Amino acid sequence: MESRVNMRLFVVWLILVGITVAYLAIDRAANDHGLATASTAVTVAAICLALVKVRIIMREFMEVRTAPPVLRRLTDYWIVLMAAALLGVYLAGKAVA
Amino acid sequence: MTTTQEPLVVVREQGTRHIPGQPDMWVFVFFESLVFTAYFCVYLYSRTQHERAFLHGQSQLLAWLGVLDTVVLLTSSWTMARCVQHARAGRYAPARRDAFLTAGLGFVFLVLKIVEWVRLIHLGHTFTSSEFFQYYFFLTAIHCVHLLIGFVVLGVLVWKLSASQEIVETCATYWHTVDFFWVLIFALLYVVR
Repeated sequence: MESRVNMRLFVVWLILVGITVAYLAIDRAANDHGLATASTAVTVAAICLALVKVRIIMREFMEVRTAPPVLRRLTDYWIVLMAAALLGVYLAGKAVA
Repeated sequence: MTTTQEPLVVVREQGTRHIPGQPDMWVFVFFESLVFTAYFCVYLYSRTQHERAFLHGQSQLLAWLGVLDTVVLLTSSWTMARCVQHARAGRYAPARRDAFLTAGLGFVFLVLKIVEWVRLIHLGHTFTSSEFFQYYFFLTAIHCVHLLIGFVVLGVLVWKLSASQEIVETCATYWHTVDFFWVLIFALLYVVR
């Protein structure tokens, strides 16, 4: 039981580190001949990936996965709220810029 | 001791629903998430209005250093999660070891952040030098304040390790919150374009 539980935590950590390292690829893709260029796709992808990581941290490390449904739902709603706020403000800002 | 604690672990693994730690800490997590989301929204809006200036400021950061910061803090969250599971099973020695590992990784993160601040200040980037760096120094500093509070929280965890599983989980919830705030800050300062 102990090794299975710890292995799950290790796999979760590996996934989180994998997503983090993938950011370097995004970072390179967003550069045009070494110069950083603005990109809505990169920004939206970066925010979405970060929120996926937040959800994984909450579910697995913060043990929301085995928490009462009210906490599971509340954390999910909160992440959706953060996503709506961040993407909404960003896209609205782009529209008026 | 261990044998009497084992059934508890099994029951928890089978899906007994309990809120990790004290519910008050979750109220704090939700409240702080809102505060940080507000900071992030203001930053993102300003960014869209001055895209070139923000891109120039951002190009002064080292993306690999941001990745390293993130990996260190994610690892500290992993050791913290292990600490909670060990404590729940009554294995207090490995739980204490993981708590100290968590604190050590938190300290490494702090050192990396100070190294980055010193490097940027030497390059002439300060709180007042540009709008991007105003946000950069504000967000990283406010996060570091939370991290410093995290060391106190870890002290409480070690102190109460064998006395209260609820306090152990409460302290862990705080530490993971500091971790996921950094995950968002890293994406917004280092990666978004």
